Amino acid sequence: MDESPNSPTETFLAIAEPPPLPRRSRGTLLRAVFREERLFLVLSVFIGIFSGLAVVCFRFAIDWCRIYLVGSGFTPSTTRLLLAPSLAGLVIAVLVIHVFPLARGSGVNQTKAALYIYNGYIPIRTAIGKFITAALAIGSGHSLGPEDPSLQIGASLASALGRRMKLSRDRMRLIAPVGAAAGLAAAFNAPISAVLFVIEEVIGRWTAGILGSVVLSAVSSVVVMRWFLGSESMFRIPAVQLKRPSELIAYSVLGIVGGFASVAFASGIATLRPWCKSLPRWTQYFQPALAGLLIGIIAVLGAPQVMGAGYVYIDEAMHGQFTWQMLGILAGLKIVATLLSFVSGTPGGMFAPTLFIGAMLGAAVGGAEHVWFPHLTGSPGTYALVGMGVLFAGFLRAPMTSVFMVLEVSGNYSIILPVMVANTLAYLIARGLQPVPIFDVLTRQDGLDLPSTEEQREEGILRVEDAMRVVTTPVLDGDETLEHAVQRLDEKSPDALLVRLNPVGWSSITKQELETMVKENKGGQTLGSVLGGRHIPCLHPDHPLEMALRYVDRWPLVPVVNRADFGKLEGVVTERDVLARYRDFGEG
Amino acid sequence: MPTPPPVTLTPAEKEPGLRYYLKREPLILAVLSALTVLAFLGVSGLSRIYHVQQAALGNRWFTRGEADLKAHRDELAVNEFRTALLYSRDNFTYQLDLAEALIGLKKNNEAYAYLVNLWEREPENGLVNLELARIAVQRADTEKALRYYHNAIYAIWPGDQEVQRRNARLELIEYLLSINAKTQAQAELIALAENLDEDPATHARVGDLFLQAQDYEHALAEYRQSLKSDRHNAAELAGAGQAAFELGRYDIAQRYLAAAIAANPNDTQSAELLGTTELVLRMDPFRRQIPVDQRHRIVIQAFNAAGERLKACPAVDSSANIAAQPRLAEKWASMKPQITEEGLRRNPDLVEQAMNLVFDIERQTNAACGTPTGTDLALFLISKLHEGN
Repeated sequence: MDESPNSPTETFLAIAEPPPLPRRSRGTLLRAVFREERLFLVLSVFIGIFSGLAVVCFRFAIDWCRIYLVGSGFTPSTTRLLLAPSLAGLVIAVLVIHVFPLARGSGVNQTKAALYIYNGYIPIRTAIGKFITAALAIGSGHSLGPEDPSLQIGASLASALGRRMKLSRDRMRLIAPVGAAAGLAAAFNAPISAVLFVIEEVIGRWTAGILGSVVLSAVSSVVVMRWFLGSESMFRIPAVQLKRPSELIAYSVLGIVGGFASVAFASGIATLRPWCKSLPRWTQYFQPALAGLLIGIIAVLGAPQVMGAGYVYIDEAMHGQFTWQMLGILAGLKIVATLLSFVSGTPGGMFAPTLFIGAMLGAAVGGAEHVWFPHLTGSPGTYALVGMGVLFAGFLRAPMTSVFMVLEVSGNYSIILPVMVANTLAYLIARGLQPVPIFDVLTRQDGLDLPSTEEQREEGILRVEDAMRVVTTPVLDGDETLEHAVQRLDEKSPDALLVRLNPVGWSSITKQELETMVKENKGGQTLGSVLGGRHIPCLHPDHPLEMALRYVDRWPLVPVVNRADFGKLEGVVTERDVLARYRDFGEG
Repeated sequence: MPTPPPVTLTPAEKEPGLRYYLKREPLILAVLSALTVLAFLGVSGLSRIYHVQQAALGNRWFTRGEADLKAHRDELAVNEFRTALLYSRDNFTYQLDLAEALIGLKKNNEAYAYLVNLWEREPENGLVNLELARIAVQRADTEKALRYYHNAIYAIWPGDQEVQRRNARLELIEYLLSINAKTQAQAELIALAENLDEDPATHARVGDLFLQAQDYEHALAEYRQSLKSDRHNAAELAGAGQAAFELGRYDIAQRYLAAAIAANPNDTQSAELLGTTELVLRMDPFRRQIPVDQRHRIVIQAFNAAGERLKACPAVDSSANIAAQPRLAEKWASMKPQITEEGLRRNPDLVEQAMNLVFDIERQTNAACGTPTGTDLALFLISKLHEGN
């Protein structure tokens, strides 16, 4: 964590040995920084616009694929249901194996890898490949969604633009998430959720430097998307109300069911994906086709709803079109269909299937609860909305995004309590039963070691108070004369001593320096007058321990002072203390 | 993931000066802006093709849906309207037709969701409000039904607004009558009657509704209005007769009912009503311009009939509320010897006393033993006619 330049600590910090100046002059450096920051912000808007345009085209492509492959009707013929996903699967397999090998998967991990491993580099070919293969897959009826591919397309466009602009390495690293947010926001028509997801899942931390760019790109992409496709929400949102707080129990049940469903879904992917990958290479040509055929069979047998992204059916579930038993079956079948599509290596996203499963499960649980407890006031639509958030929290493990996503989609604040309760339960259950989140599982299966945002969120932080020790040595006063200070020392006194300066500040002096000065007839002078220009930095007990590392190699003793009273010494830290604490921490 | 190409910096980039920025930044922005414009134009072209295709598909499926709806193939129509909406989600007409098809399939919940959505977009739309009102009626949600009906009455309608509004109000009145909210129904009917055109059928229907709402005065007026264009309409004559009968205008009722029966001899209800009317007219001793003897004979006949009625209804004298008063049977028995033509001639006041007792008996037996028939009914009606005199 960076300390604010205006913090009290910094204001009186006068480092004895100033850091070396960079090679460039200070003026040039500042100009470069400000120029690039400004350019980066402007570039974010352009990234948003281009990503928005790309996502609009992607939507057109998906629709055209669906119309020409599956048919324009609501209930396609059996032949089309069986042939469209199978044949498209064959074409997709050839394209993914021979032309666009990086188009495989959802796209979230690839974007994260670009941030952490490839300095923001995502080849433009990936965007093209993702565009074509994902449009074919979703349009032909594979159970996948357009959001994650849109995220990757946005990131890829941003990366290409950044490379053209010859941005610095730091900016290049950050540009992929900026594009990712734009792509996701346009695909989802939900800028807040997109920004949160990218920060929560891709970047993993809040940084002021990137937030502005992410927001700008997300907003501009959504504006572009709405320009071409209209601003209506994905679903007709039903009236939402929570009349009695006791009804939260009903939503808690949904959270628990959703938690277990998330674990089942994630475990299925975690188990089947490596198995499919381990099969002989020639089978990979047929895996997407076989997955498509099986999905077609599910559709022919009476559940065509599982094909494609399924937003239309989420809308219908919200308005009580299905019985609760049918909703439960659809949730189960969608899990199977998505597993088949995803583990076969068909490019496409998991957002839409997750929302579909969540909505069906939510409405099913709500419907079943209504049978047993008719006095419950929540409509199927409310349960479906909450269910969407539940699966988002449990399966994608993005708890913050899950809450805001439901709020943003529903546009209704009164749903917040059920969402928070259910999402938290689902998240806790999923985390308890499957400690590694699905995105991290996929990353590790691909042989990459990317930082886990969930682990980052939860890892312990060492603080200065964990390494500091109580002061047992004498602390000298700035008003003391050197002679008096020498008299207070004995053989047991340590080499370095702290000096409290007046009116405020700290310094240090070694025993040898003291003795030398006294020998030079400076014994009558005060320590303050001698050490006036040698302020040393001080720390507070709550500072992260890594901050101490900046100082302990230059000063043998670093004072740890009270935040309210800088003259009050809480303890001291030395280099040895800090390293010992890190060693202990590393050993668990 | 392939290795990214190595980043090579030009000398200018390694140590850029202000001239470098001035040269580079505006150029970048200009190029990006030009690219944006080009990309926008390209996507706009694609978008036009896409939207034209979507609209055509939507229209095609909608046309099929309408055809199936007309042919009462509601299930098919719903599917086709749904498909049409896939291509034009925002289309008001598609959504409205789908909602109507869903109502046809009794899928009211889903229809309601579509209609609410449409209502949010066009709260002033008459048809949407009317359909919402109908669903509310089926859900027995009176409050919402009234609200949506009133919205429909004051809403914007395509075509002949007045007719549509009037029909909406008529539907509301029928709903109010079905839930026995007669006062509210009367108020709506009065408002409706003020804006009626000359159409006799409408006046007749409104007359029927006034009759159901027990506003007989207005009912009679409406029937009369309707009869102006067809003086021999049996139904309207019967309605007018019934309204006049309920108002106690038995002479008018007799005229209308007789005409009604003449126009439709099979109208048993009117015939029965006419019988009662004639009996009322005949049994009323207080009507003007009848000879004294005849009046006395009517009084005697009425008195005897009341006595019979009293015997047939012993419960009337065991009622707790009249326990403290002299029993009707005792009163009737004590007066009986005087009620002769001679007695009445000698004491003309007896006419009124006897009839007062007759009216008391008919009222109380009516309350205790139910509505009478024949002469007793006529006497009961006459008692109501002279109530307060």
